[in-house]
Amino acid sequence: MRIGRATRIALYLYGVLVIAFLYLPLLSVGFASVSKARYLTFPIKRYAFQWYGKALESYTVQDLLWTSLSIAGIVTVISMIVGFFGALAFARYQWRFRGVFQKLILLPIFFPQAVLGLALLMWFNSIGIIPDWKTAVVAHLVWISPIATLVIAIRAYSFDPALEEAARDMGASTWVVLKEVTGPLLMPGVISAGLFSFLLSWGNFPLSLFTTGADSTLPEWLYAKMVSGYSPLVPTVGILSIATSMILLIVAFTIYWFVRSARERGARII
Amino acid sequence: MPPEPILRLENIVKRFGAFTALHHIDLEIDEGEFLTIVGPSGCGKTTLIRLLVGIDEPTEGRIWLRDKRIEKVPANLRPTCMVFQSLALFPHRSVGENIEFPLKIRGETASRRKERALELLDLLHLPHDFYDKRINQCSGGERQRIALARALAFDPEILFFDEPLSALDFRLRKKLEKELKDLHERTGKTFVYITHSLEEAMVMSDRIAIMRQGRFEQIAVTDEIYARPISRFVAEFMGEVNLFDVEGTASGGLRGRGVEIQANATGGGTELTLPQGTQGALMVRPESVRFLHPGQTADFIVRGILRASYALGSRTQYKVESSEGIELAVEKLRQDRFMGNVGDEVVLGFDMQNTHMIRER
Repeated sequence: MRIGRATRIALYLYGVLVIAFLYLPLLSVGFASVSKARYLTFPIKRYAFQWYGKALESYTVQDLLWTSLSIAGIVTVISMIVGFFGALAFARYQWRFRGVFQKLILLPIFFPQAVLGLALLMWFNSIGIIPDWKTAVVAHLVWISPIATLVIAIRAYSFDPALEEAARDMGASTWVVLKEVTGPLLMPGVISAGLFSFLLSWGNFPLSLFTTGADSTLPEWLYAKMVSGYSPLVPTVGILSIATSMILLIVAFTIYWFVRSARERGARII
Repeated sequence: MPPEPILRLENIVKRFGAFTALHHIDLEIDEGEFLTIVGPSGCGKTTLIRLLVGIDEPTEGRIWLRDKRIEKVPANLRPTCMVFQSLALFPHRSVGENIEFPLKIRGETASRRKERALELLDLLHLPHDFYDKRINQCSGGERQRIALARALAFDPEILFFDEPLSALDFRLRKKLEKELKDLHERTGKTFVYITHSLEEAMVMSDRIAIMRQGRFEQIAVTDEIYARPISRFVAEFMGEVNLFDVEGTASGGLRGRGVEIQANATGGGTELTLPQGTQGALMVRPESVRFLHPGQTADFIVRGILRASYALGSRTQYKVESSEGIELAVEKLRQDRFMGNVGDEVVLGFDMQNTHMIRER
């Protein structure tokens, strides 16, 4: 289809406007974090990075980062493992309750997270578990591991079952087939599931709010400080939180790019 | 003494729920032969080969490898190997790593593995620089050879093939068919090949087994299957054929519709007999039918009208409609082609030594 010049310009303009509308607020958080003034006013009169120093020195913030990182890290690892085997059951093997399994796995995603968080909190109370960051790990897993499973299942659907059969036919035991064929072929899916899991857990608010008990994660603390006790530390910590996600993504893509270009040169990786 | 069978199937049955894919199959495969199992899609040949390889287990029956029962032995513990229809080359491994896979599983050293992989590249006429290539850098024909090299690296007692050539274009397929036959002769291994393509079976095999609806219709050496099919199904499956319905007469001869039969061509002393009152089909291949010139005669004569002619390159094929409305195919080498025109009246003839009787069972 041919698009006229005017239409094309209008489309670009529309795209730029939508992006600006959505992301400018984030930029303003960035500005707020480097303003010397206590409250954000434009134009910013004096820039200062003191709040970053204060944030990194603050035990509270260190604690928050550590709690969020622990939860997200553990959720990521468990989601990748559960998702890997879940995806095999979801996509690769024929078994009696596969249809039911495929539907059940979508269930947690359909519940509003606040409801899920409340339900889990009540459940923890009724079986006598005192909520802390570890119960939040469980809550996050309920919601995130199905997503990880689906991400890996997409990959599992696209691979030829004959590859596993051929490996077996050439003498590979079940374990060797998993290690040499199934594992490496699903690995790109497992990695992206891991990234998703980390980011979803890192940024999660509603589930954490209900299930961390006395502990607090970054998003929870941001919310609490907004409600009462605002200081420029709030946008600063917000930006730190975004920076962590960004660094993770950049590292992941760099590794991906490095492995791929090495493969294309014909080098042997792993 | 005939060679001992390397593989023997006894009364093999395979059911999937209520559906029976294989009905009480028996088969003996001789050491070193090239056996092709041919049949239309859905006849059970893929099911059968999966049992032979060990990916699936039969519902009933026994499989013997020499003097060992193996029907319950899983694929990874059997000394056999298969080239899959999709080839099943590992996309995340280089060509060399693919070929070395079975050797690696067996725990051979890296230097020994590489040496063997390079030998196999030689055997399959692939240059050594393929060793470091990735699978997605190789063409269809090259992948075919890599899959073969990998299967040979396993050094199987029997090499199975599940239609590996079906995805290739015609010319490459023809070339690889001949290479495969060559390879069979050079390695001396037992090859078992399944396909739905008659030509593939004809070019390569020592023996052909024709399968239909979960049973073997006929198992015989290639020429026998072509010249003496046991049923109409086999006759028609094995290429273009002319069939005439005939019936045994009281005098021991034959009576047929649409064909004039010379008295001495059938009955006592010939192969072309039928018990009185029973039905059969007289079979003649298109290349055995002649155009008769005035004054010439043959054991069997058919009169008709030339309806069409098709140039097939080295040969020319003709469609003739007999006066009874039966359509016949005639094939001549190009240099012997018939000079008539479409619409001409023609007389066709064929002789008893090129004719075969299919008895209704």
